[in-house]
Amino acid sequence: MSEPLLVLDNITKSYGAVQALRGVSFSIGKGEVIALLGDNGAGKSTLVKIISGGLDASSGSMRFEGKPFAPKSPSEAKAAGIETVYQDLSLCTNVDVVANFFMGRELTRSFLGIKVLDEPRMEEQVAKAMATAGTRIPSLRSKVEHLSGGQRQAIELNRFVHWGGKLVLLDEPFAALGVEQTKRGLEMIRQVAAQGIGVVIITHIMQQAFQVADRMVVIRQGVVAGDVPTKQTNADAVIGMITGETLTGTGPVGGVTEGSGAQERNE
Amino acid sequence: MTPQSRRVLEVVLDNLVWFMLLAVLAIFSATIPNYFQPGIFANIIEQSTVLGVMSIGLALVIIAGHMDLSVESVAALSAMAASMVFASSGIGMGVELTPGWLVVPASLALSLAVGAAVGLLNGYLVVKIKMNAFIVTLSSFIWVRGLVVALSGGRSAQNLADELRWLAIQRFLGLPLTAYIAIACFVGFSFMMAKTRYGRHLLMIGGNEAAAFRAGIKVDKVLMIAFLLSGMVAALAGWLLAIRTSGATANLGTGMLFNAFAAVVIGGISLKGGVGALPGVYAGVLLLSAINTAINLMGLPAHFTQVIHGLLVLAAVLLDTLKQSIRKKLA
Repeated sequence: MSEPLLVLDNITKSYGAVQALRGVSFSIGKGEVIALLGDNGAGKSTLVKIISGGLDASSGSMRFEGKPFAPKSPSEAKAAGIETVYQDLSLCTNVDVVANFFMGRELTRSFLGIKVLDEPRMEEQVAKAMATAGTRIPSLRSKVEHLSGGQRQAIELNRFVHWGGKLVLLDEPFAALGVEQTKRGLEMIRQVAAQGIGVVIITHIMQQAFQVADRMVVIRQGVVAGDVPTKQTNADAVIGMITGETLTGTGPVGGVTEGSGAQERNE
Repeated sequence: MTPQSRRVLEVVLDNLVWFMLLAVLAIFSATIPNYFQPGIFANIIEQSTVLGVMSIGLALVIIAGHMDLSVESVAALSAMAASMVFASSGIGMGVELTPGWLVVPASLALSLAVGAAVGLLNGYLVVKIKMNAFIVTLSSFIWVRGLVVALSGGRSAQNLADELRWLAIQRFLGLPLTAYIAIACFVGFSFMMAKTRYGRHLLMIGGNEAAAFRAGIKVDKVLMIAFLLSGMVAALAGWLLAIRTSGATANLGTGMLFNAFAAVVIGGISLKGGVGALPGVYAGVLLLSAINTAINLMGLPAHFTQVIHGLLVLAAVLLDTLKQSIRKKLA
């Protein structure tokens, strides 16, 4: 496996007496796609928020690119290269693709001493980034409101990659997409990962997880209930880990090991 | 629908107000005697001066997804402040400067300072305290007008210096210089909205504030500046109004808010924010003036103007709703 990008070590989170996370440990490698699975209330969202700076962990530590990492806010995590992409929260649909791509980072040139937007240069760079990623959007000048959900996702992911993103968290990215769009979205995630970016995808749809992920991490009742390479498991086994039909808490807590215990018991 | 016909329809939707303006001018020219002559058209542009400038500020804030109802009262206060200091009769103090032309920058600076103060207060309450813009600026609309009445004691200040009046009297190509100031404002602010980072950020905040914030745009700062600009532009409108009427009365500009509002909405600025451009607003203002001129020429009682303006506002909001649903079908 590639070298770890993000390492989570015994992360816990309590809300008063309630323990949402009871010691979660796993790691994400560069260019690796991880499917984060678990039933409702298992602690997935809490975990994602801790990684992306939305919440502080009660205890435990994270290391990002080998350095201690404890983001105090989403913008701090973003500056480090970790971002959660929420479909409706990251695009302005009333402006075109280029404007969205350069949102907050617009290029300018000087015109009579006034800084004006350098549209040709921005369009050129977006076209290049889209071409590199193999994404095709009919016109970079169409407003995003006229684009499909899949195209919007492509813009978000390409923008993330272009601006030096290193680890992207996707929360139910295909919830609103059709079959064909989902297929393209999954391909796009593989392309993003191929560029050395870590991807964590939260999904309820087992089939998607198997199509795209290198590794399955199952959270159950606030602990890692399973951490297995996709190739070495099957849907039934994973569902077993999610629902707890296999022994509780037998996942490899405290580090990533290839071919986890949960895996062996299921075969 | 083919992409081509969609594009055509979109151009029509985006520039609907210009088509409406042309249609209205054509109909009036054909049906109202004496309507079709250069003097009338020059008059329409001249009549659009104050309302046009005021509409710019309102449009900026609405594009950002907020509201500024205080523009009319701010204009009145800035006009009153400038008149009280520089007008020579009534309650005017008749301050004279040497050389005389200094009264132009001095009165303008005073007016803009008044507008900036109210704009900053509005912005502070909306952006930092997170109060609802509609309520904050409604309150400003009331208390600022109250201040105008209180300061003037209900009386008026007349007779501004000739150097100021010159701006309203001196004509170039049939239009007074003040009209060129309004046109320059439209050109300048249209440029700002279309070509600068600030304009782009304002538009994106109006479209999706959360996304803009997440992308690192300083939303609070951009919005503060929008309210500040709105206040200052309204003050400029008040200054132009004072020059035109050579002074100020306590009820100066009453009712202009709703005309400005109508112009903005007719001009294609959506009340939900993030949609519209300033050239359209100018067309909206011209459209209102064209209708006013028609009413005058037909010799209808002036009160009908108010009825028609009210209906126009209604029609404009209806149009906005209609356009939104058409756009949704296009998407």
